[in-house]
Amino acid sequence: MLRSLATVTHRTIVSVLCAVMLITTAGFWFAGAVAQPVIVPAFKGEQCVADTNLMRSDHMKLLDHQRDDTVIDGVRGAPYSLIGCVDCHAQRSDSGAAIRVDAEGQFCQSCHAYAAVKIDCFSCHAAVPEQARQIGLLPDNPMPHAEINRVMSLLKSTDYHAKEQQFFTTN
Amino acid sequence: MQKNNSSSPQTDKSLLARRRFLRNLGLLGATAVSSFTLLEVKAREQKANTTGAVTAEKRWGLLIDTSKCSSGCDACVRGCNEEHGIENEGNDATRAQWIRKIDLKDKLTGSESSVPVMCQHCDSAPCVDVCPTGASFKRADGIVLVNKHTCIGCRYCMMACPYKARSFIHETLTNQKPAAPRGKGTVESCTLCVHRVDRSEDLQPACAVACTDEAHSAILFGDLNDPQSKLATKMKEIGASQVRADLQLNTGVRYHGL
Amino acid sequence: MSIDNTSYQPLGQTTSGYLWLLLVLLLMSIAGGYCAYNMEHQGHHITGMTNQVVWGLPHVFAVSLILTASGALNGATLASVFGLQIYKPYARLSVALAITLLVGGLLVLVLDLGRPDRLAIAMTTYNFRSIFSWNIFLYTGFIFLGVVYLSTMLDRKINRYTSRVGALVFLWRIVLTTGTGCIFGFLVGRSALDAAIMAPLFIALSVVMGTAILALVMMLVARWQRGILPAAVVNALATLLFWCLLTLLYFSVVHHLSNLYVAEHQADERFVLGGPFAVLFWFGHIVLGVVVPLLLLQRLRGLSQPAANKNTGLLLAASGAALLGGMVMVYVIVIGSQTVPQTLFPGKIVTASSFGDAGFAAYTPSLWEWGVGMGGVCFSLLLFAMVLKLLPLCSEAASAAVE
Ligand code: HEC
Ligand code: HEC
Ligand code: HEC
Repeated sequence: MLRSLATVTHRTIVSVLCAVMLITTAGFWFAGAVAQPVIVPAFKGEQCVADTNLMRSDHMKLLDHQRDDTVIDGVRGAPYSLIGCVDCHAQRSDSGAAIRVDAEGQFCQSCHAYAAVKIDCFSCHAAVPEQARQIGLLPDNPMPHAEINRVMSLLKSTDYHAKEQQFFTTN
Repeated sequence: MQKNNSSSPQTDKSLLARRRFLRNLGLLGATAVSSFTLLEVKAREQKANTTGAVTAEKRWGLLIDTSKCSSGCDACVRGCNEEHGIENEGNDATRAQWIRKIDLKDKLTGSESSVPVMCQHCDSAPCVDVCPTGASFKRADGIVLVNKHTCIGCRYCMMACPYKARSFIHETLTNQKPAAPRGKGTVESCTLCVHRVDRSEDLQPACAVACTDEAHSAILFGDLNDPQSKLATKMKEIGASQVRADLQLNTGVRYHGL
Repeated sequence: MSIDNTSYQPLGQTTSGYLWLLLVLLLMSIAGGYCAYNMEHQGHHITGMTNQVVWGLPHVFAVSLILTASGALNGATLASVFGLQIYKPYARLSVALAITLLVGGLLVLVLDLGRPDRLAIAMTTYNFRSIFSWNIFLYTGFIFLGVVYLSTMLDRKINRYTSRVGALVFLWRIVLTTGTGCIFGFLVGRSALDAAIMAPLFIALSVVMGTAILALVMMLVARWQRGILPAAVVNALATLLFWCLLTLLYFSVVHHLSNLYVAEHQADERFVLGGPFAVLFWFGHIVLGVVVPLLLLQRLRGLSQPAANKNTGLLLAASGAALLGGMVMVYVIVIGSQTVPQTLFPGKIVTASSFGDAGFAAYTPSLWEWGVGMGGVCFSLLLFAMVLKLLPLCSEAASAAVE
């Protein structure tokens, strides 16, 4: 009697264990094939902050380096700022609203989904440029295209902080 | 300003740091670390010459004139929150409060005062000592920061801070400001608006700007190391003290009229 | 009862009791994992923790588990370092228990982090001024040394190193407990915690809790072997626990008296002894954790041998009470000290503040926190129960036949 109870429990435990393993690894077993990434062109600028090939292969190193320089040593206005990436690479929807760079299919996401890379940067860092919000590129206050272009040309330079300042003081 | 005065706000690593250091560690660790730190300081100096990194030449600080601070006013708090995208509302015990206003009444005289309290940017900061990953650190120019890229959210620094100046992010955040990345699971506190003052000293931290806009001008930002600076001259003129001076942390934020 | 002719086996018969326990522990561990996931996913706002009470119930569990782990080594230490033959049949159990409890404690500690996903950072970047950093080394070192220690017991070829490794592990665990105490010992910002006596206090607490859990486990294993603990062992454990409890009481009294003596700590002390935590302190720590077990053990020690044989129940009750009381004490130390307002402006009264500078902070642990804490305990025991089946840890000499 005890013995048979024991074997029954044995089985229960083994099946529970298997179920747990299956559930926790479900993502691995049932993940579909990932589509080839479509690289969304940059919204602004003619070229990237460094050679395109270098950017493709080494942008994480540049970012890492930059972030220690900025956070620990207070170096500002250097080229590989994450704010800069977002500024140039965040797309705008038809209504003129900025789309998060890490949204599905967007610049920082499609490539990473393909390479199975997950980044947490945008859980803290803004994924849309602030200017977009401030100068009314958000849906509740769409802005005419001519105005967007004027702003963008002002912001084109890498020293965009100064330009930003200039823009807001002249308005 | 006297150099060897123990209440001098100038970066005085020699005495206090060493004392705390030995107490916390014991001799063995201390020797290992100090030689390590020396090397690092050298490397940093070299770097600073070439890249414009901040150096120990300056020590940023605040002078808060409590005689100009009024009890109903929270302009500095709102200014700070606006600058860093911090919510004004919510559960007081769990929301981020980089600055809080405290109203005080003297037990003896009954005189009332009101003060803003934020990270005091200690020279020998307890939060920096206890942080297991070194995420809590003091920048060369005296600003105490959290490197949120290496913060694991253990909250030991919050246990150690005598000023309750740090906040842990309890919830997922959205719509952060580009200049102030913030996120769930990490600790944060007043940064003396590094993103502003690094660009230009004249940009002053948001709280100081807000206070001036409110015509109080109770918060003055400046270089404690430069005897000629506006802050230093003012401090010499009106006098200032530290909160919990008994802890000998040599704070970067000084109060007049406590 | 020399080690050479004692034979050890993995736990023999699989009783249904054992299997049910295994299943319950597994389910509790999974529930704990779910709670941890939720805490991570939602953020700590679903816990009772705040920016004032920054360490909550998971920390209480983690610290308790870590202290208990180092204390659970007592059995092995007494046998191989101090040569008390009576504990020899339990030495392996003792080491295995210590290791598994520590693993559970560390797990809870890690799962309570704001960013447990950054564990790799915690393991690779150190700030050597931080006691926390040192503790990471102490904990991992303890697990490593524990495994080595156990190996010297399991493998006859390296048997002769047992006592030497045992001595090293013994020293290590003293340092480890001191280190854990120091986490709470040097916090200038929290006056209730700025006391060097935390270290010896934690060591005393650790031997109490460790001995208590070891006693419980030894009784349980004897039961699974369809026997009971030999009377001599029951008496030895009772005496050991008795003296450990007295030591704890001593340090606790010294701690609180010295706090009353130091002017700047008086307010906090009055709070602990008379504030909202007073009930927990007096009834949880002092009565349940010390007085009750002392009385029970005193009673047990007074009994003649055959009666003691039948009265393992007394030891069971005493150990259980000491264990619970120990956890309550950790709760009072860790949580109580955080609810005390921090005095920023001595000589002034705080009339208004948006961040509770005036009064005591409130803390109520949420279900998620209980889940994570209990999950950690259950995971430890689950590991232990499985190790018991896999490795030859149990000896025939560990239990006596039921009359
Ligand atoms: C927990 C929040 C958090 C996360 C997650 C985070 N950062 Fe940051 N990051 C910050 C903070 C805070 C600063 C400091 C901002 C300042 O001083 O202006 C910063 C600054 C930076 C900077 C320098 C400022 C700039 O934009 O040039 C870079 C570069 C950077 N982070 C890169 C990254 C990358 C890459 C990731 C993802 C791998 C990341 N960060 C993830 C909080 C975070
Ligand atoms: C001045 C605007 C601008 C900034 C700032 C900028 N980029 Fe670019 N980036 C571009 C443009 C334009 C291209 C396309 C260049 C080309 O097609 O040769 C590009 C291309 C890239 C590519 C290659 C995409 C491909 O086609 O495979 C990567 C990767 C990249 N950027 C990453 C970054 C990162 C990371 C940052 C922040 C450190 C950044 N960019 C900042 C404008 C910018
Ligand atoms: C051309 C494709 C591509 C684009 C576009 C791209 N990345 Fe990447 N990124 C990668 C690949 C591939 C890796 C992984 C490299 C590796 O693991 O060696 C990576 C890795 C990273 C990492 C390091 C992740 C880790 O876990 O170490 C960061 C941070 C990062 N990318 C940031 C960004 C940001 C921010 C953007 C948008 C501005 C971006 N990337 C756009 C391809 C891309």
